[in-house]
Amino acid sequence: MHNENLFKNLIDKKKLIIRPLLFLTVVPYLTFICIIAFYPHYFGNMLFNSSVSIGIILGFILIIIIWVITLLYVYLANKHIEPIIKELNS
Amino acid sequence: MLKFFTSSQSGDLNIVAIWMFLIFVVVTLYITFWAAKKTQSTNNFFTAGGNITGLQNGLAISGDFMSAASFLGISGLVFLSGFDGLIYSIGFLVGWPIILLLIAEPLRNLGKYGFSDVVSFRLNEKPVRILSAFGSLSTVILYLIAQMVGAGKLIEILFGLPYITAEIIVGILMILYVTFGGMLATTWVQIIKAILLLTGATIIAFLVLNQFNFSFNQFFDAAVNTHDNGSAILAPGGLISDPVSAISLGLALMFGTAGLPHILMRFFTVSNAKQARRSVAFATGFIGYFYILTFIIGFGAIILVSNNPAYLSGTGEILGDNNMAAIHLAHAVGGNILLGFISAVAFATILAVVSGLTLAGASAISHDLYANVIKKGANDKSQMIVSKFATILLGFMAILLGIIFEEQNVAFMVGLAFAIAASTNFPILFLSIYWKNITTRGVLAGGSAGLILCIILVILGPIVWVDILNNTKAIFPYKYPALFSMTITFIGIWFFSVTDRSLQASKEKALFENQYFRAQTGKNK
Repeated sequence: MHNENLFKNLIDKKKLIIRPLLFLTVVPYLTFICIIAFYPHYFGNMLFNSSVSIGIILGFILIIIIWVITLLYVYLANKHIEPIIKELNS
Repeated sequence: MLKFFTSSQSGDLNIVAIWMFLIFVVVTLYITFWAAKKTQSTNNFFTAGGNITGLQNGLAISGDFMSAASFLGISGLVFLSGFDGLIYSIGFLVGWPIILLLIAEPLRNLGKYGFSDVVSFRLNEKPVRILSAFGSLSTVILYLIAQMVGAGKLIEILFGLPYITAEIIVGILMILYVTFGGMLATTWVQIIKAILLLTGATIIAFLVLNQFNFSFNQFFDAAVNTHDNGSAILAPGGLISDPVSAISLGLALMFGTAGLPHILMRFFTVSNAKQARRSVAFATGFIGYFYILTFIIGFGAIILVSNNPAYLSGTGEILGDNNMAAIHLAHAVGGNILLGFISAVAFATILAVVSGLTLAGASAISHDLYANVIKKGANDKSQMIVSKFATILLGFMAILLGIIFEEQNVAFMVGLAFAIAASTNFPILFLSIYWKNITTRGVLAGGSAGLILCIILVILGPIVWVDILNNTKAIFPYKYPALFSMTITFIGIWFFSVTDRSLQASKEKALFENQYFRAQTGKNK
């Protein structure tokens, strides 16, 4: 019974961590793709008065978002998920 | 013989390239010799004993991903049309959080050598493994052909070797690495090559940006002023002509990575799910950094290569083709030494990637088809022999196919490999991990429908039907089939699973709970 509760706790925590991160991966990416699909010219506008286009800046920001998501997940999983798995396996 | 030592660029001896490459070969063969002693069982052959650390595996994964095709191809695409290169880079990269959040841990916890172990965990093993092996082998072979043809052409230009000689050298070295050193040698070849490639690309990007005082304004201004299309290179251009193609390509890239057998296989080289997570985090870091570099390199080539007569033919075309942009740029900013270094790294990259692909193919043949279908319960020794024979077979097949496809446009093959991975391998893997009601019938119907549709749509589409078969109008108007084939797979699996009322189906559903527990914890309930 103890194990059943622990496992339920594990799954709840995992969902709580994974779902928002998945959302933060898929939605910005699909938005990026949809702008390319429907408003490609928008990405050609320059950012303020620089020579860097909005498309390039958003592309680089997406790369950074992807980095942050993977690091955040590893951090959260080690902190909140690993201890439960350890307890379940002991 | 003299031609062997001649760099195509200037006719000078490119001693650096030859030495660098010879050192790489000696070091990697030594590693293979060392690894061979530790590779005595099938488990060691395919997983390197499960003793690779997260950082090492992260480097090796990024090595698998940073193929010569993606280094030269993406920087070439940026060189040709600017922003469009970034669409590919980001699509390839976004697959990684998907793998990390949804696939890596359950895969590591349920499987032994590959994703087919997971799919067949509670389903009828024989047919499901045959389908998975088909999915794996078609992905691997398409990828392999693209790499081999690219390799032959690149080596022909860089080292002045005849195309066929280049194919044979690549094939033989790869067979040596894999048959003797298995996964352990392949991993270390990948790690060394990943470090060399990241170093080389960093040096090129640094030297380029240095010319513009590290100001992106100056850098992009210079590119816009040089390129024929002007400021259009900073926005999406010709790569994607309509919304359906954009979304279809986007899906293939995002989910395709999570269905590449040679990538998924790497998760079994680490000791547990925790290390699997770390591998992905490291890999994502390296790969993202690498794509930023290729973007800078592509734009650098627009500025420094596209109007330098030394790199152009009489008619003003770039020597070689667009894929040579990064190589010419290395010469433009770092002279013969950097050119030699990058040439040797490109050669090493090809070797490493084809080794990883071959190992994944050998696993589908020996583990899935031989040990679990043809001769169930085969002992370890015979499985090891089959693995080595499969490697040699795939190696010779790679050489042969490389020679056959020399004159063909193979660029579409990587795209097709990704489309198949996204339309067959990913859906069956994903649903068998998370969906309780999946049944053998659903997997077989949906998975094979997606696989077949994907191939048919590519053949009827603009790339094969018009560009290769010379018809005037494509029957299927889009270049990228994933949106359609992936949808069919998901619908097919769903429909044929929920309507499956057989006894077998209810048994499979009953086994889900235990599988789910193990997927999340690594232990049986």
